[in-house]
Amino acid sequence: MIPAQFDYQAPATLEEAVSLLASDLDGAKVLAGGHSLIPAMKLRLAQPQLLVDIGRIKSLAYIREEGDQILIGATTTHYQLESSDLLKRICPLLPECAKSIGDVQVRNKGTIGGSIAHSDPAGDWPAAVLALGADLVLVGPNGDRTVKAEDFFVDLLTTDLQPGEILREIRIKKPSGRFGQAYQKVPHPASGFAVVGIAVHLELGDDGSCKSAAIGVTGVGTKAYRAKGVEGSLTGTNLDDDATATAATHVCDGIDPNSDLYASGEYRCHLAQVHTRRAIQAAKANVQ
Amino acid sequence: MKLEGTHQLDAPRERVYQCLVDPEVLQRCIPGCERLEKTAENTFAATIRTGVGSIKGVFNGTARLEDLREPEHLRIVVDGKGTPGFLKGSGDLDLEQGENGTKVSYSGDVQVGGTIASVGQRMIQGTAKMMATQFFTSLGAEAATAVGEPPPQHGFFRTALRWFSGWLRSIFRKH
Repeated sequence: MIPAQFDYQAPATLEEAVSLLASDLDGAKVLAGGHSLIPAMKLRLAQPQLLVDIGRIKSLAYIREEGDQILIGATTTHYQLESSDLLKRICPLLPECAKSIGDVQVRNKGTIGGSIAHSDPAGDWPAAVLALGADLVLVGPNGDRTVKAEDFFVDLLTTDLQPGEILREIRIKKPSGRFGQAYQKVPHPASGFAVVGIAVHLELGDDGSCKSAAIGVTGVGTKAYRAKGVEGSLTGTNLDDDATATAATHVCDGIDPNSDLYASGEYRCHLAQVHTRRAIQAAKANVQ
Repeated sequence: MKLEGTHQLDAPRERVYQCLVDPEVLQRCIPGCERLEKTAENTFAATIRTGVGSIKGVFNGTARLEDLREPEHLRIVVDGKGTPGFLKGSGDLDLEQGENGTKVSYSGDVQVGGTIASVGQRMIQGTAKMMATQFFTSLGAEAATAVGEPPPQHGFFRTALRWFSGWLRSIFRKH
């Protein structure tokens, strides 16, 4: 339970962090809240040569409104998101998702950026940022670039982040009009990770029908994904029980579901269908 | 753990088979394979440095080919040990000639133990699938070249893309 030897740097600015990373592209790792990386290091599954701690850069933790966007700094903790009055008012999916993560100690230290950059197949944030159609701002030696959440998650623990790049900010378009959101999760009883997690963002027309639906799914495949089959089937319906149940059957379309000691692929897919249905119903009930 | 899957390769069955039993080709195709030596007839010793995300490890082990029925079937038996744990198992590979190439079906049973199994159990299957895809993609590229032709550069497109996007960004930054 003692990590292999490593060097540690706590830069004061993000620019400094980027140049530190560039000094050792293979051996350096970014440390934010440390709730995925440190356990892996203690088990010696990860043995980075250098940790670049961005968790101490104060200006990287923020939640603010800017024009029609919500901007969230990468090292904002789960607890800060969970307890944000602003988010509870304008984008309640984020606090709801934050509330479901791990335990209070994890939420006090773990960060939204760390979770997204790690791309754990059962992480909660990937589902939420997919459902919200977020843009992710990455900074590297050549400056900033923006990637859509949908293009960011590549595979198991693999993202579009290139060596030397750091996730800096999450940008979400402020939900407008009549919308409803919900996050439904089956937590693993020991770890709290999502066996399945379903994030839903619905936009409704004046007549109460579903104008558009965005569904982010985590825990089921090797990476979080948008359930396009469910979204297509739901759009244009009046979101009654039949339409919801029919749409939910598409949640595993095209996905080879994960299988482990706790849940077989078949069981996981069943759970995903049940909880997609419940998440859509909850989102409908939350319409404001 | 059971592993199963199929991959479609754009090459004739005989060529795919030759690639599967050629240690040089295998070394280029197995993700992170640093060393693959023939130690006896159909037996190989290998060192593989591989991982996903920040999780990395070095494995040393042996692989034995059995039940060779060219060009349709072979069985591979592996036994390996490394920093994050050990693995042991065997798998059958069946090659089927189709109209536009070869369908490779694999099915195997692998036991994984040690740290990786006790804490990473929920990710083992996903990792295995990801590596199988990488392996068969590289193998497909190898098999698509004629015998004697220089081997394809598996990392080339990725490197080129990275360089190109970096270049594009540096241009846009100037304006």
